[in-house]
Amino acid sequence: MSPFTVDAYQNEYLTLGGSEVNAIVTVTADGSAGAGRHQPEAAEIVIVDTSGSMDSPARKIKAAREATCVAIGCIRDGVAFAVIAGSDHPRVVYPAGGGLAIASAQTREAAGLAAHRLKAGGGTAIGSWLTRAGELFATAPGRISHAILLTDGENQHETPEQLDAALAQVEGRFQCDCRGVGTDWRVSELRRIASTLLGSVDIIAEPDAMADDFRAAMQGAMGKTTGNVSLRLWIPQGAGVAFVRQVAPTIEDLTGRAVQVNALTADYPTATWGGETRDYHICINVPARDAGEEMLAGRVTLLEGDRSLGQALLRAIWTADEQLCTRISREVAHYTGQAELADCIQEGLEARKQGDPATATFRLGRAVQLAAASGNDGTLKLLEAVVDVEDAPTGTVRLRRDVAIVDEMSLDTRSTATVRVGSGTT
Amino acid sequence: MTVVCPSGHTSQTTDYCDQCGARVGAGGPGSGADPGATTVLPIVEEVDTSPSIRRDPCPACGATRSGDDRFCEGCGYDFLSPRAVAWDAVVVADRGQFDRLGVSSVAFPVDYAERRFSLVEGENRIGRSRGHAGEDKPEIDLAATPVDPGVSRLHAVLDRRADGGCVLRDVGSTNGTFIGDELTPIPPHTDMPLSDGDRIHVGAWTAITVRLRP
Repeated sequence: MSPFTVDAYQNEYLTLGGSEVNAIVTVTADGSAGAGRHQPEAAEIVIVDTSGSMDSPARKIKAAREATCVAIGCIRDGVAFAVIAGSDHPRVVYPAGGGLAIASAQTREAAGLAAHRLKAGGGTAIGSWLTRAGELFATAPGRISHAILLTDGENQHETPEQLDAALAQVEGRFQCDCRGVGTDWRVSELRRIASTLLGSVDIIAEPDAMADDFRAAMQGAMGKTTGNVSLRLWIPQGAGVAFVRQVAPTIEDLTGRAVQVNALTADYPTATWGGETRDYHICINVPARDAGEEMLAGRVTLLEGDRSLGQALLRAIWTADEQLCTRISREVAHYTGQAELADCIQEGLEARKQGDPATATFRLGRAVQLAAASGNDGTLKLLEAVVDVEDAPTGTVRLRRDVAIVDEMSLDTRSTATVRVGSGTT
Repeated sequence: MTVVCPSGHTSQTTDYCDQCGARVGAGGPGSGADPGATTVLPIVEEVDTSPSIRRDPCPACGATRSGDDRFCEGCGYDFLSPRAVAWDAVVVADRGQFDRLGVSSVAFPVDYAERRFSLVEGENRIGRSRGHAGEDKPEIDLAATPVDPGVSRLHAVLDRRADGGCVLRDVGSTNGTFIGDELTPIPPHTDMPLSDGDRIHVGAWTAITVRLRP
């Protein structure tokens, strides 16, 4: 049995003249991908912000030291690893002498000692940290490469262009989970870095929570058994891809990430997989055909390198039968709602910042309605810290007058978290 | 193994056509034919020639046909008794396109005599032969000097349809194929209908005008 299963959920019936094909493609990996072969080699770099601001309060740098040690402790034997201290002049604090160390009891201890000596000072130039990490990963090619990046501030000591250039240079080289500690960092900036590097982004409100978060992130990274997985989408002549987005566990638009294979086929990167399930919403515009005609609107193949791990077919059948073509697939409807939920939160928070309470109330109200209806309790709880919910089913809310920055940032950061179909009230 | 779909495409995938997505055969995926063999499925092509389903533009002037009108609104062409139409492809060197593209590595030819090709029914390949003996030369062979190095060996196809119309298809050229003043190339492997007088640009300066012979 394949360690991956790929399933498509859609209503394949289109009304006459209809041209939009929507489908949810669910990919499940049982995590055993490496079992039959030898365990894939991994490379791991911990990047910790050690800029001057990490010293205020001092428990921030202390927590960062501790979290780095915890992360190092999670690294399995045989994994190539390094620790980078990030400032405006990033420094590899372990191993000395360049390259990556191979994890063992001894190297983990030595790295832990180095982490305990981390000192705060200097500025924040995240692009240079990523460049340095890219250089280190390049010394150990062929491994599943992953980094975790922690920062507490905005990218102040390099231009946005420098960050863009650094991102473009390392894109596809490694995966990077990003964490912002405190409330002085910018959600949009860190989200862009994490998105480009196919990683997650999250807020660590209190320094004390850092160690647990790092442990979870590192355990997740160590559980990845298959790297370099991409979703290949073929569409027929005359058709176009409207969008391809990951919709669970978080929303991530992949449309712009397509790597064209030929005129009809493109690959979308999905990075590394452990035992997990992800859902993708694919929307394709096809030329309409006559009643009764069938067309393959899309062929989705999951690839590891060039090896096919599974495939799903997206079909279109035109019919005059209203009963058939007006049904919306439950999965498609659910994730369309989850995508709208994320948009509503981000637009609502932006309107609130811009001093437009009417738009903010309307958008966040709609968000509450969507979150409640879909059973996205996590997001609902975060929304409740920003608005007073009067009636969730109708989306009637009032903006709270005093909202803690950390609540607002938490809601923004986690706005893209979705729940899977069937998690709601059944 | 390859199969041929109802629209006549050769497909590497045997369940649905890998070009147009049409279902191939009733057997569905993997309906057990000899691997390695090319299976031509027995297809009875249903050609409906009744006017109402013919939505192609007028083969003579390219005007859109409204409903199942018998006569073209543009030129009076009689859809029900199509007259034999003949197309020419006239090739010239186009200074305007050369300047628009801003190619610096290629010189614009000093002396270029107009070349005229009459299109055969079916596919007319646009390309550059290598000059080998016994070579299958493209019908519209642009190998003669002055040579436009931006034209691919097999660049595009002018397909003169049985209904009298003419379509252009880029067959995977290196530098793309352009129609008129468009600055974006036409999508590869896609039929682009042409009308009388349309100008096609290939390579650095080659312009091909399709003409309906009166």
